[in-house]
Amino acid sequence: MARHLPVVQMRSSIREDGSHATVHPADASGRFTTARNVTFAVLLAVYAAVPWMEVGGHPAVLLDIARRRFYLFGAVFNAQDVWMAFFLLSGIGFALVALTTVAGRVWCGWGCPQTVYLEGVFRPLQRLIEGPRERRVRREAGDWTFDRIWRRALLWALYGVVSAAVAHVFLGYFTPIRGLWSMIQAGPGASPEAFAWATAMTAVMFFNFAWFREQTCVAICPYGRLQSVLTDPDSLVIGYDEKRGEPRGKAKQAGVGDCVDCNRCVVVCPTGIDIRNGLQLDCVGCARCIDACDEVMDKLHRPRGLVRYDSYVGLLHEPRRFLRPRLYLYALLGVMGLVASFAAYQRHTLYEANFLRLRGMPYTVEGEMVRNAYNIHLVNKHNARVVFALEPDTSGGQSFVLPLREVTLESLADADAPVFVTMPVSRVRPGAKVRVRIIPRGMPAEETRTIEAPFLGPQ
Amino acid sequence: MTVDANPDAASRAAPSAHEEDVAYPNDNKVVHTYDDIEEYDNHLPNWWLYTLYVAVVFAIGYWFHYEVLHSGQSLAQSFEQSMAADRRAAAARARRAGVMTDDTLNTLSRDGATVRDGQATFAQNCIACHLATGGGSIGPNLTDNRWINGGRATQIYRTVMEGVPARGMAAWGPQLGEAKVQAVVAYVLTLRNTNVPGGKAPQGEPLAE
Repeated sequence: MARHLPVVQMRSSIREDGSHATVHPADASGRFTTARNVTFAVLLAVYAAVPWMEVGGHPAVLLDIARRRFYLFGAVFNAQDVWMAFFLLSGIGFALVALTTVAGRVWCGWGCPQTVYLEGVFRPLQRLIEGPRERRVRREAGDWTFDRIWRRALLWALYGVVSAAVAHVFLGYFTPIRGLWSMIQAGPGASPEAFAWATAMTAVMFFNFAWFREQTCVAICPYGRLQSVLTDPDSLVIGYDEKRGEPRGKAKQAGVGDCVDCNRCVVVCPTGIDIRNGLQLDCVGCARCIDACDEVMDKLHRPRGLVRYDSYVGLLHEPRRFLRPRLYLYALLGVMGLVASFAAYQRHTLYEANFLRLRGMPYTVEGEMVRNAYNIHLVNKHNARVVFALEPDTSGGQSFVLPLREVTLESLADADAPVFVTMPVSRVRPGAKVRVRIIPRGMPAEETRTIEAPFLGPQ
Repeated sequence: MTVDANPDAASRAAPSAHEEDVAYPNDNKVVHTYDDIEEYDNHLPNWWLYTLYVAVVFAIGYWFHYEVLHSGQSLAQSFEQSMAADRRAAAARARRAGVMTDDTLNTLSRDGATVRDGQATFAQNCIACHLATGGGSIGPNLTDNRWINGGRATQIYRTVMEGVPARGMAAWGPQLGEAKVQAVVAYVLTLRNTNVPGGKAPQGEPLAE
């Protein structure tokens, strides 16, 4: 089928000379806008609340990169556990890819913090202070009048405050937020490094939300760049029903399509595109054009959905496929990653215990006896102090010397406990083992572990 | 991204009424066509260009700072600095634990009560390897004048405190605590050079006094 619509040759908010054209979206209202506002309110609360939540006396979510301690819902991980993140992140990644294959950029339009803060906080503030689209555009085209200056100054002051709040919430995921609060109270001089970070993050947030805005989604976000390979003609996207809409005409004109070319879908767009040109890289799936068009169709007593959530194929009024090989593949990979990370999480033990032979001679013969020397390396991965008892297994006729029978370790601390094992030369057999039970005190019995190492001697 | 981004030739040749006003303002910018995918030579976003220019200027400054003037720290230097900071922290920890010098430990070894405490701790924790006499079995003889990890009071203190994991000596500091380690070192200092009968053959370097 030949397309009759123009190819989009320039990105919407970049002018031909390369300068950034500020997008001034008009107000939209309707079912999707309302649903999105509710979603934003919930997510804003969630983003801000998570750093304050605690599980078992530790932050529910804290990625302390400087100290390499990662708290996730009661478990604590250190740098050695980062391999688990591979499965978790790839699982989440493929789950998102599968979601994109089914439903396009719903994440961008509904759940991404960039959208939630921009559309849920920063743009409403601008609407409040600088008025609706028409007034904003007119003011921006005119001179720097007093009216324009005070409104912009007030808006940016508010943006500064909100940016600082957003920056601190963001930092709260990487440094304990209560500590952050006490640092704020102590003043910048007391913790200059943290202050520098908070200031830099505030500046980044301000730049992003006051000016950069849709450029983040269009030019920087890697997920946005991947859209062209993630969606296919069966993915649910926001699209314009060309068959129904074209050719565009006046409302009362005969022999034309349903689109009256009112431009409402264009002016409400936060990235400044015309959805009637087809799916574009710049579309973040916000559904504002759907609400705008539905409103117009309602007034004209025409059916809603000239612009709607549908697939490319669906917009051509052809039968849609929901299940397709790529969806199976992405879903399978996503499930694999999530299952693997869940299994890894389940296997995430409270401690590590390794039975290592001491460097040097593999064994020492003294008269009739042969001795092997080992270290038991213990790492406490619990989020609190643990006392480990070491209990040798003497059933093999070996005698043990364990100078440290109890090892007390703070969270994420480690220690070596030497072990010396002696047995008569005559009783050494190939494949002989040495076993020690590790009993973490005050833990359930299944945390007790028996570790073993080979016992060597002259054969 | 435009699904089916390219209008075919026919639709281009005969644009609809609507198309005329959007036209193709950048047709003269097509620099490359492959598989019907056209590449335009559009102006880059200015913010992008500015970041590039800033990066270029930064790179020149960076190069002069590290490679020409050497006014910046090299990796080796910053590693050394971190190690020095770590050593300072370790020294600070030792200071917090009490001022630990050969003299203070030797003084403790002349205090009967401390030595008795140390002997009790020794009997509980050390005799498995060093024997009750200190004559040594798995561990070395503590009653001769030769020391594997140094025989000065502070060296013995450090060996007990931090251990020698590679040779099977446990780090006792975290398990016993400061006071018991001091006491046990005080006791071991009284054993030095007593040469108990039946002791293990001497190992290590003689202690030069």
